[in-house]
Amino acid sequence: MLCERCKIREANIQYTEVINGVKTEHNFCAQCAREMDFGQYSAIFDGGFPLAQLLSGLLGGEAPVQKKGNLNQIACPSCGTTYEEFVRNSCFGCADCYSVFDLLIQDNIRQLQGSDCHKGKRPVYQKLSGEEETRAETEAGDNVQRSTAEDEIRMWDRKLKEALRMEEYETAAVCRDRIRALREGKEADA
Amino acid sequence: MLKWFEQIEKENSNIVYSKVRLARNWSEYVFPFRLSPEKSGEMLSRLAEGLKDLGAEEERDYEYARLEELTELDRRALKERRILNSSILERKAPMSLLITREEDISVIMNGADHIRIQVLLPGLHLAKALKTANRIDDYINARFTYAFDEKYGYLTSFPTNMGTGLRATAVVHLPSLSMGKKFPAMLNDMGRFGVCIRGVYGEGRENYGDLYEISNQKTLGRTEKELTDLVNKVALQLNDQENQIREMSLKGHRLVREDEVYKSYGVLKYARRLSMKDAMTFLSQIMSGVCDGLVKLEDPCPVFRLMLGIQTANLQKLSDRPLGKEELDMARAAYLRSELPGLVSP
Repeated sequence: MLCERCKIREANIQYTEVINGVKTEHNFCAQCAREMDFGQYSAIFDGGFPLAQLLSGLLGGEAPVQKKGNLNQIACPSCGTTYEEFVRNSCFGCADCYSVFDLLIQDNIRQLQGSDCHKGKRPVYQKLSGEEETRAETEAGDNVQRSTAEDEIRMWDRKLKEALRMEEYETAAVCRDRIRALREGKEADA
Repeated sequence: MLKWFEQIEKENSNIVYSKVRLARNWSEYVFPFRLSPEKSGEMLSRLAEGLKDLGAEEERDYEYARLEELTELDRRALKERRILNSSILERKAPMSLLITREEDISVIMNGADHIRIQVLLPGLHLAKALKTANRIDDYINARFTYAFDEKYGYLTSFPTNMGTGLRATAVVHLPSLSMGKKFPAMLNDMGRFGVCIRGVYGEGRENYGDLYEISNQKTLGRTEKELTDLVNKVALQLNDQENQIREMSLKGHRLVREDEVYKSYGVLKYARRLSMKDAMTFLSQIMSGVCDGLVKLEDPCPVFRLMLGIQTANLQKLSDRPLGKEELDMARAAYLRSELPGLVSP
């Protein structure tokens, strides 16, 4: 639907007015809405996106339409979810969306979850690529401990790579030492 | 066969119930919101076939139902009993439910995620609930491979569930604490500890019955145990603070408290019409009265069971015809007159 004021842009704000019990509905685009006077509600439009999309907006980083025009077209090959749809609904379409959108969303995931690395339970049975289903290590208690150590190694490993990329060799050395210590600790346990 | 909310907790505490929920997805299908109705139907039949022996394995009686085959009223009643949530109620796609007779363990299929395992227990037993949920999880995982990622853990439809897929919840009764001026500010501050707290019943700023739900905000980067321990800790802390205030008020104003509890009992036992707000408010008084030993019910019954009983869909179910608002208030009063046990004379 086109904006009823400028009749050029797509309307994305629905404005319902109730005066003396008579309800009228209007459809405006964000730009026209900003230009018009909605009294106390004007502030909503100044920010560039409606309240309902607050969470989505956070997930997508900056207001997507303005900057990431071409990124919005990125779509997951398995389920067809586009980046724009993901940002709008804050919802993944399938497991593959995670890797397709990974680069675009990892910072926001870190903000939302306070972390970007899973700790804790892993599936006991997991299909390894091209192989038969295998049962992961047994003995729950042992398993948990080992996986947290492995998680930590993975985390430091990522930090190490990041540091190398940024050419921060001192940080990299610290990471390397941590990994070495953790690996030795693991071997001593085994 | 008593349902989980009809079972009596030995210990008197303000913690009403615990809930653990695990969200999982089957790697073979795209997530539910992208799944066509045909594919959804196919997946549900395969899941039902794969899980048909769960009851025998667990030595429990499970019932299986396709949600679209239940009546609207039944679905709403299931929501009141904490089995379905409002987004499931609005969802139009094929979905199914596997649930024990006691309703403590349930698995919802093709809701927001392919598989959602939920365990409910009276009192504060998050570790036990998690253990049960993990057992069901492993049983399902042995038959269906999960969408799992080394970095992001269990993959879910919403980024707010990814990682562990765990939502641990404790529901606490806080009638005195919530009267404090600083209470709303404290609820907001809780976000900093990684938990969120919200009122269970009522709309907007009102919370009938003074029940508060505490649950973990984040799901990634912490182990299941860390998350349940966190909710556990906050629940115990709130319970403790509530007790301190109540002890103080009992010391200084025992008669006032007793009077409030007995008056509430009187209204509930004899009223002819009760709005939801009134009934919940008076039941909240009885709940704290029983907990503090101010009154003793002849036939011990969890007050929370009565709170569930007076909800709209349940009252509609008990009646043989649709009830208007007036009639609902009458049905609510009648329900409480018959279900509220007598008092042991002091």
